[in-house]
Amino acid sequence: MSWELVFFAVFSAAMLLCGLGVVAFENPVHSAVALVGSFINVAALFVMLGAEFLGVLQIIVYTGAVLVLVLFTIMLIDPTKLPEFYVGAPLQRFASVVVGAILLAEIGVAIITRTALEQIGPHTEAMVQQMGGNVQAIGQVMLSEYALAFEIASLVLTVGVVGAVVIGLPNRMVEPNTVTMSLGHTRGSSDMLAAGPKFESPMNIPAERYTAPVGERTVVMTKDPDAYTHPGETSK
Amino acid sequence: MDLTTNHFLFVSAALFVIGMMGVLTRRNILIIFMCVEMMVAAVGITLVAFSHETATINGQVFFLFALAVAAAESAVGLAIVVALSRQGRAPDVEEMQTLKN
Repeated sequence: MSWELVFFAVFSAAMLLCGLGVVAFENPVHSAVALVGSFINVAALFVMLGAEFLGVLQIIVYTGAVLVLVLFTIMLIDPTKLPEFYVGAPLQRFASVVVGAILLAEIGVAIITRTALEQIGPHTEAMVQQMGGNVQAIGQVMLSEYALAFEIASLVLTVGVVGAVVIGLPNRMVEPNTVTMSLGHTRGSSDMLAAGPKFESPMNIPAERYTAPVGERTVVMTKDPDAYTHPGETSK
Repeated sequence: MDLTTNHFLFVSAALFVIGMMGVLTRRNILIIFMCVEMMVAAVGITLVAFSHETATINGQVFFLFALAVAAAESAVGLAIVVALSRQGRAPDVEEMQTLKN
């Protein structure tokens, strides 16, 4: 019974418990905090496997950036709109446990019956030490053998960021030129038909943002008294 | 009893299965998203364990790229959740079946 095995047992038990917490906690914020605990223990396992750089990166990227993003998103969402706590219909829960157990048994048999691989590569621990450490070894391989994949990864990140900005744009910037006004409603009819309309926005947005000339907008007339939008809002 | 690669492989399989059960049973899209991230981390443990066993460093480089893709994926996924909530819709996979409207 070596100390290494003790540390491995502690880290992996904490990791799996926190993982179960992610699935079982009712509050999404609690799930996110449990995920932080799980990822810190994953980083500890990486360090035990001699991948110090990936361990640090796991903490910086996942617990530092992605989880903060998740927490921000949870807090941006109206909490009354969150779906109520639900872990599946009884049949669904049973099926997921069965499928999980089968998958785990399959992987377990595959692991037990496999033949251990030999140390075929050049990056033994002594060699990595001689190269100056884990970071130097990864850098040399990544920027020579995997240079093309490195460039493609940067492209993927750029596309992801641009896509996130486009998806996250408010609707009023996407469809700014439609106005719906109601004929059965006094509100808005007089001041919007006047030339160069300036009116109070109920959303306390400065009225200057709504002063586009009438001719440049599509005006939709409806009989529904509630179908009244300001220019810049999307019609419901 | 020594610590072998198989120990790490077992633990990563268990974490992967836990994440999969979360994806299969939960309804909140944020929880599903977190479970997917957990499955990515479990695969990362496997990659690094084999990289340690064969004394090649390629597995670690693979996980580095997987990390970059997961970061981009999280940015897009969370933007979709924010856009949904701006339309007044719940982040619930049972209700969210089309991307239109």
